[in-house]
Amino acid sequence: MAHVVGPEVVKYACTCGLLKSISSLYFCRYCCQLRCGFCVCHEVDSHFCGKCCENLPSSEARLKKNRCGNCYICPSCQQELSTRIGSKGPSNPEDPKSTPKKMYYLSCLYCRWSSRDVGIPDQSAATGGWPDRENVNANRLQEIIEMYKAMVLAEKQQKEKDKKKQRGKYLSYTDRTGVTAAALRKRIGLPVDIQHSLLKAKPKEPEPAIAKEDVEDLPEELLTKPVNLTEVTTIEQRLLQIDLQPTTVEKLFPVHKQLSIKRSLRCRSCEHNVSKPEYNPNSVKFKIQLFAYYHVPEIRIVTVEPLRAGRPSELIIKFTNPTQHQTTITILSLVLSGDENEVKEETGDQPSLPQEKQPPSLSSQPSSLLSLSSRQPSITIKPRPVSQEVNADVAIPSSKVILPPRDDAAEYDDSGDTHNIQDDPKLVVWRKSNKAFVKLLVTPKQGLALNTEIVAGFTMQHIYTNTIATTVENREPDKHDHNIRVFLTLGNLVGFD
Amino acid sequence: MPIYEALSDKLTVVLDVGSAYTKFGFSGEYAPRCIIRSEVRCKKTNTIRRIIDYENQKDLYDLLVDFVHVLYFKYALFSPKDKPIVVVESLLCPTLFRETLAKVLFEHYEISMLLMLPSHLVGLSTLGAETALVLDVGYFEAVAIPVCHGLPVIHAWQALPLGSQIIHNNLRALLNSDNTGINNLPESVIEDIKVRCCFVTKQKRAAQLSVAKPEITFAPEVKYPIGGSEIITVSGKVREKVYEILYDEDNDHLCLSTMLLDAITKVDIHLRNKLAENILLIGGTVMVPGFKARLKEELHKQLKHDRYKKLKISSFKFHTPPCKENYTAWLGGAIYGATELLSMKALTREKYFKENRLPDWPNMRDNFRTNN
Ligand SMILES: [Zn+2]
Ligand SMILES: [Zn+2]
Ligand SMILES: [Zn+2]
Ligand SMILES: [Zn+2]
Repeated sequence: MAHVVGPEVVKYACTCGLLKSISSLYFCRYCCQLRCGFCVCHEVDSHFCGKCCENLPSSEARLKKNRCGNCYICPSCQQELSTRIGSKGPSNPEDPKSTPKKMYYLSCLYCRWSSRDVGIPDQSAATGGWPDRENVNANRLQEIIEMYKAMVLAEKQQKEKDKKKQRGKYLSYTDRTGVTAAALRKRIGLPVDIQHSLLKAKPKEPEPAIAKEDVEDLPEELLTKPVNLTEVTTIEQRLLQIDLQPTTVEKLFPVHKQLSIKRSLRCRSCEHNVSKPEYNPNSVKFKIQLFAYYHVPEIRIVTVEPLRAGRPSELIIKFTNPTQHQTTITILSLVLSGDENEVKEETGDQPSLPQEKQPPSLSSQPSSLLSLSSRQPSITIKPRPVSQEVNADVAIPSSKVILPPRDDAAEYDDSGDTHNIQDDPKLVVWRKSNKAFVKLLVTPKQGLALNTEIVAGFTMQHIYTNTIATTVENREPDKHDHNIRVFLTLGNLVGFD
Repeated sequence: MPIYEALSDKLTVVLDVGSAYTKFGFSGEYAPRCIIRSEVRCKKTNTIRRIIDYENQKDLYDLLVDFVHVLYFKYALFSPKDKPIVVVESLLCPTLFRETLAKVLFEHYEISMLLMLPSHLVGLSTLGAETALVLDVGYFEAVAIPVCHGLPVIHAWQALPLGSQIIHNNLRALLNSDNTGINNLPESVIEDIKVRCCFVTKQKRAAQLSVAKPEITFAPEVKYPIGGSEIITVSGKVREKVYEILYDEDNDHLCLSTMLLDAITKVDIHLRNKLAENILLIGGTVMVPGFKARLKEELHKQLKHDRYKKLKISSFKFHTPPCKENYTAWLGGAIYGATELLSMKALTREKYFKENRLPDWPNMRDNFRTNN
């Protein structure tokens, strides 16, 4: 949507203090606050392969290390590999009339790399069966991991024993992790060359690695043989196969394609979703989509007179009401410090751990929260001050603008305005259905240099009609004022008064 | 213990944010899931920004928020909230950086617990050994720390600004003499030339590099194409010379080899031979062909000098970890992350917000840090 509402000359201050265009904001209906990608909690919703569109449950995705079992990418250029048919003689050599046996290989249509280049035999099945390589050090590493697991466990048990025996003094001595200062100072300079007691006690221990005096020499061919750059891998190619990091291209092997995810976004104050996609990877629709675009009046700049420092210029902006309810817009002067809608008093810079905060009642958020029973309430972060500076004053009009509800049918109705609204003619220059064109006077500040980018700001107060019934008895739509700080980039200063 | 049960089925992320590359994966695995450049795309300017180029804490916070987001939602593919994390950090990691990273992880991503592990120490666990001299050659600097019986001997610590950054600058300067337009090349291209063309040459040949009439033929030159139209020449001399900066002694007669010997000198006499015979090299720079062989040659050369004769070291032995050197420290974190250490030592979210500081490690570091 960015190209529809772009360029980003109108920005809204999110509750968290960041400036965003309306298309990248969310509106939590439960908190009646703006939210953005920065201040919501991102969650992985579902895993899928972007090539074959297979959906994988998260446990299976974890098992497969977040990679698709069937799709591969090119180890040379990272594009997706295609399975190609290469027939390989008759299936029965004695009978020349038998149908040729189909054999498959992987090929990159982009850089022409193919699995045949590196000597991988063709496969008889189209869907995979491609050999996967194991880490050559797997056995040794598993031994080492087991050894450290046992060692730390023994230490933990020792500590618990010591704790019981009230022998706190020795705690730091057995501390193998080196993470406490006291233990360290005691240990430094100790000439003891004893094996660690825990190491000794443990049965079936892998041998510690032995250092060697012989080291691999510089390959002589580097000094004599000319380098063929096309045979030497780049860093990106090496890092695609982390455990091998091949230096030459003949050791490149096809790489399983990394899975993609769909994300859901959750408001950190009330734990409700502001965005939740549909599970099917082919669907671009959402189950929940609380985009600000559907709830908050949109502002667009229509015209602005040339800007001169110290002289008022006429600015015409268009307000559009996206909701099904009539709203009233009041333009207020901008308050840069703090958040307008902040109700609760948060003091100090540190986020508060919301111990008293209860998860929302499950009736209002049925399925998605049930599965997340272990979920902790989110931490509230204090909003940051808006970093944008304004260098033009906006004359605050005394009257308000009423915006009728959106009516899709009215778009095709040229018969004239059916809404009988008494407008202040100085403020509203024109209106049609749910839109109003509003005239404001902006005065760039004195003393600005020529070509300075002029940014003006005001607070837009609109009446938001909340349609979610908070309690069973209260079926009346809940109306209340919502303030949004809006910043308009108006162009560059062209002169002085 | 409820905390243990809660942990056992959870994936623990292991993160090693390097100055140039970040290693990211899961505990108990044998290799990181990804090694990516430590950089993010800045939404405002639509340019790539390196994490290390942060302007202030707020800027770093925002960079790390974006970076961690990519790690979790592009590579780990699960939600960080209420999950533990293991962070492998260098001893030289600035306090501002580690504290901001912790703030991002706890406040923004709401992780349940954080275990910070020193890279030199945990890198050693890949060997199953307790004592070694660990040399980490990273982007900004090379750091040598002896680890004895599982504890780093902090006062013996040595560091010099000998990392890939200085090598890249050196390569750019050397290429400049044979080519034009080198100054405008992005560092990633310089890095690619380094990785694909250059190597650490032998000591004998290195001596010939500065002679007017060398008795050797340098390695063949490489024609390196830039952007499909231009070609720059990487001469054999440049290919061999670029890493020599690691062994050029500075005004205090310090270089990569003296660093190791100085670290050994500062350790108790009984342990010196053991350290010399247990050298572990980590960091991406040590993967270049010829690095180990040359380091050994240089160590023996320095040993003949008066200042190191007293060490009475006869041989140097090098470890070969069961992994690539650029993720050895990460692998150590993955090994420790698979143990009970997390439930024993990790900083929980509750404690972090209560005390609002990270434990111990920085205090200890303040005891030995003099510069930076
Ligand atoms: Zn926000
Ligand atoms: Zn697939
Ligand atoms: Zn390709
Ligand atoms: Zn909310």
